[in-house]
Amino acid sequence: MEVNPAKQEHLLALKVMRLTKPTLFTNIPVTCEEKDLPGDLFNQLMRDDPSTVNGAEILMLGEMLTLPQNFGNIFLGETFSSYISVHNDSNQVVKDILVKADLQTSSQRLNLSASNAAVAELKPDCCIDDVIHHEVKEIGTHILVCAVSYTTQGGEKMYFRKFFKFQVLKPLDVKTKFYNAETDEVFLEAQIQNITTSPMFMEKVSLEPSIMYNVAELNSVNQAGECVTTFGSRAYLQPMDTRQYLYCLKPKKEFAEKAGIIKGVTVIGKLDIVWKTNLGERGRLQTSQLQRMAPGYGDVRLSLEAIPDTVNLEEPFHITCKITNCSSERTMDLVLEMCNTSSIHWCGISGRQLGKLHPSSSLCLALTLLSSVQGLQSVSGLRLTDTFLKRTYEYDDIAQVCVVSLAIKVES
Amino acid sequence: MESAEGAKQHAPERSGPAAGPAQSTAPRGPREDQGRPLYHEETIDLGGDGFGSEDSNNLVDKLDEPMMESVLISDSPNNSDDGAGDLGCLQDVVETAEGGADHRRESVVDEEALGALSDDGESDGEDTPKDVADMTSDSRASLKEDPEQEEVKDLPTCEHEGAEDLGPGDARAPAAGPASGLSPRQPSPKDEPVPMCTIFSQLPPAGSQPQVPRDGFESQMVKSPSFSGASEAAARTPPQVVQPSPSLSKFFGDTTSTSSLASDFFDSFTTSTFISVSNPNASPSIPESLSSLAATPVGENSLGSADPSYSPGTERSESGVSTASLEIPQSPKPFSQIQAVFAGSEDPFATALSMSEMDRRNDAWLPGEATRNVLISVTTQQYSTVFVDKEGLTMPGLKFDNIQGDAVKDLMLRFLGEKAAAKRQVLNANSVEQSFVGLKQLISCKNWRAAVDLCGRLLTAHGQGYGKSGLPTSHTADSLQLWFVRLALLVKLGLFQNAEMEFEPFGNLDQPDLYYEYYPHVYPGRRGSMVPFSMRILHAELQQYLGNPQESLDRLHRVKAVCSKILTNLEQGLAEDGSINCTAQENRQASVQLWRSRLGRVTCSMANCLLLMKDYVLAVDAYRSVVQYFPEQEPQLLSCIGRIFLQIGDIKTAEKYFQDVEKVTQKLEGLQGKIMVLMNRAFLHLGQNNFADAHRCFTEILKIDPANAVANNNAAVCLLYLGRLKDSLRQLEAMTQQDPRHCLHESALFNLTTMYELESSRSLQKKQALLEAVASKEGDCFNTQCLKLA
Repeated sequence: MEVNPAKQEHLLALKVMRLTKPTLFTNIPVTCEEKDLPGDLFNQLMRDDPSTVNGAEILMLGEMLTLPQNFGNIFLGETFSSYISVHNDSNQVVKDILVKADLQTSSQRLNLSASNAAVAELKPDCCIDDVIHHEVKEIGTHILVCAVSYTTQGGEKMYFRKFFKFQVLKPLDVKTKFYNAETDEVFLEAQIQNITTSPMFMEKVSLEPSIMYNVAELNSVNQAGECVTTFGSRAYLQPMDTRQYLYCLKPKKEFAEKAGIIKGVTVIGKLDIVWKTNLGERGRLQTSQLQRMAPGYGDVRLSLEAIPDTVNLEEPFHITCKITNCSSERTMDLVLEMCNTSSIHWCGISGRQLGKLHPSSSLCLALTLLSSVQGLQSVSGLRLTDTFLKRTYEYDDIAQVCVVSLAIKVES
Repeated sequence: MESAEGAKQHAPERSGPAAGPAQSTAPRGPREDQGRPLYHEETIDLGGDGFGSEDSNNLVDKLDEPMMESVLISDSPNNSDDGAGDLGCLQDVVETAEGGADHRRESVVDEEALGALSDDGESDGEDTPKDVADMTSDSRASLKEDPEQEEVKDLPTCEHEGAEDLGPGDARAPAAGPASGLSPRQPSPKDEPVPMCTIFSQLPPAGSQPQVPRDGFESQMVKSPSFSGASEAAARTPPQVVQPSPSLSKFFGDTTSTSSLASDFFDSFTTSTFISVSNPNASPSIPESLSSLAATPVGENSLGSADPSYSPGTERSESGVSTASLEIPQSPKPFSQIQAVFAGSEDPFATALSMSEMDRRNDAWLPGEATRNVLISVTTQQYSTVFVDKEGLTMPGLKFDNIQGDAVKDLMLRFLGEKAAAKRQVLNANSVEQSFVGLKQLISCKNWRAAVDLCGRLLTAHGQGYGKSGLPTSHTADSLQLWFVRLALLVKLGLFQNAEMEFEPFGNLDQPDLYYEYYPHVYPGRRGSMVPFSMRILHAELQQYLGNPQESLDRLHRVKAVCSKILTNLEQGLAEDGSINCTAQENRQASVQLWRSRLGRVTCSMANCLLLMKDYVLAVDAYRSVVQYFPEQEPQLLSCIGRIFLQIGDIKTAEKYFQDVEKVTQKLEGLQGKIMVLMNRAFLHLGQNNFADAHRCFTEILKIDPANAVANNNAAVCLLYLGRLKDSLRQLEAMTQQDPRHCLHESALFNLTTMYELESSRSLQKKQALLEAVASKEGDCFNTQCLKLA
């Protein structure tokens, strides 16, 4: 068998050009002054040059659009646009031309042609033009397969294909980090890095929360009634620059109450990123669902609802605790014990019954205590015992209060 | 499944003659009979093989060559003929992917395709046009180095991520896999990429440890929002081939990896071509008529020849000591000169005699501390000897003496034959008067190369010719003007390295022998710098074109500091150099105006430089501050800032600036403001991807100003993006024919030739026609790269 089949002249020629956005021509301004040797010559030359800005010739950035000079890079989330031109190079009329453009990725094959209808005839020196657009959704090798079939004047059916291969690169690097607040709030820090080679304007970076959460974006501050971004005047990311976004997620009420639901691995939501580069070339990406491991609270969770920040020495104060049964289906019968520490003294009866607590329900408990030591004191020493399983849960270091002496306060 | 379908449809093809599995000839017979659709679906497995073994590694390299073309991803005109090679390669990939249907046949095909490959690599390289070759060599290189490294890095990460993120991905992965698994040319298992989501794994930095984030951050996968789960089973991470971003101009693109093509276009005249030119015989043969040329100002004649009493270095060079004695003749001198350098002790009569107001204004400069001391001692110790270190003197000389050449003519010789080339007549250095007049003539008819040569001749006559660098010499206002013109033209021609070489002996343009005070006999009473201000700007700007924008910025800051100081002096009622001044109010006004405009000029250069450095925030600030110096240019400056934001992608801010322009231009009379507004609107439409409306705006400009080359060119570009190639060509062709004097601009011609390439396989003839048009209109400075003929 021959390796190279008999060379065949095709009557049609297929040309493909990627249409990235055009660029603005930049010129090299060289000026002189009236008294210099060339007089006004240099300046006149610049004025005559159409690529300079009329009336301000020293500006480098002109207004002349230049077509792309090479294939360039294409990044995930951007739109691949291409001009496909089929030209009749011959001197005969060609019939029944069908041009088809497919994009082959590692996982699928897409038809990009605007129409799949055959063109009845193409006269010599005429073109069939098509501009295809495709939002790139996969990374890695892509092959644009262009196939042309036609019938010659002699009735011969002809067919040829061309393949154009390109790589789709990753434009962004996204890293996330979660912080669990003492309340049910979750803070999300997201670092977005521009790993392309051109500056990138971040048009939108938003967190789309899952149904359980409401989100507050913490990336702008209110300055004199105006929302100002925390990123300052630098609205774009240079290559390899990283920007950090912060979000606060609050569980919606219906989910917050049923605290048992938010445990283990929960879906927080996903980041939606829209950017623009040269002359508004747009790209958009989303992260996968961000997941977080909710802090484990065991079967019984004790959280604080209210506590004063500063209390007086040896004076009773009140705190409100919330006790939640986080187990999935077990009803608990709880007994509360309060153990004094060296600084914290509980007031009231230790060992009292709290009654039955059903799964995913909670009860609030007002407790009174006083501190005998000044300074920052840790509230510790609560014990809950589930009488069914004879299991005791210990709660130390629940919160801290600042204990001050009343006498000193008066003096100052 | 696609693969099954593909296999079925391949049946007829297989029954055809075995000659060309890839070509259309083979399957034609059966298709006609059965009336089957001409197209068949097949899945090309992209991830399965490729980097698997040594062989396929090469295969991928070669595969890439015909594919990765520059602007056109298409094949070159003649390439389509012998496209069998690349088609074969791909077919190979295709069929491996198709899998099970017919192993036996496929294995045959594969072997053959492989056999063919060894030839293809070379032949393709030859066939593709040169510019393409540049591009591909680039991508080839990066492809070669990448796969091994990444293989190693990727595996751990994909397991990590796969487990965490990819539910559906795992299930899907095998779908792509099995086909290649059946291929006889199967990669060894260890090389086989794990068919899991490498897409989303990030490449860990050089350390290549799997991403256990030490900082607590966790990498997230990103995907296109509208993409279904299918993506998650994907191929390997692509080699991070960082190619220049095409869409980005010099400012916005990537300078480090800029493709040779782009730089070819812009920095077309590679310096190496000319540096080597040296003609040792050239310098002595100066026409007689030249000898008097260098001396125009009064009293300069004696300087033209190397009069030992004036040239500060003769004695030193003989004795070999590193200090030069400036011997000043013992003749009596006018009293005024002695005092001339002293601040505040000017003799008004002497000043009136020797130094016009205008000269003082223009030449004023503040020398550095050391230079200032030398200048003072020159004037005070004129009866003794002043020692100036050799290092402190300026000893320039031509570094290459002949850059004459006409690229247009060379191309004509190559493509149109001698006869046509003979018609090309441009002025050269011999065909004009050997004087400033001839020089201006050459410059204005755009024969800059010839003008550079003529400058060289005139400088040779002045004793600063080829090989004279490092030899003692003296300077006159005219010799420095000649240097300025020569260096400026070199920069305009893009011969930056050459300019840098010849600029080098001038140091920082602050040596004492560059000041008038250094030559009290030649320029009695005259003060200030001989270096034209524009030459200082050129000196500073040159560095940014050589890739040292930081140095440019430093130099510009120094120039700006002097300008500001001089302005402060003027505002305090002093002379430019800080001396007590007794000039008239209107003279001071004129001086303030001059120095303000110089300050504006240098600020604008700084803005340009910052733009080159891609520091857009500072660049925008600098452009805004230029407005105060050139208020009449406010709309242009604001438009420019708007375009900068457009280029970054910040469409909203761009729009804000364009609105400001509309407000400012409302006050203006005439068409210019209207054109500016329309131009900005068009750009905004471009930024919103709305080529149709952009085209409408450009067309509206043409209604007002039919000769507007920018609007014409830009409208044509829009037409191309709208899929109207023929219309676009018509528009550009009409424009270049109607106004060839202005419209044979390299940018427009580049667009035109690019479209010719896209239109037809016969672009060469059309480019040659353009060459003829250029030959009749353009001088020797024409950048032939934009014709893409070479």
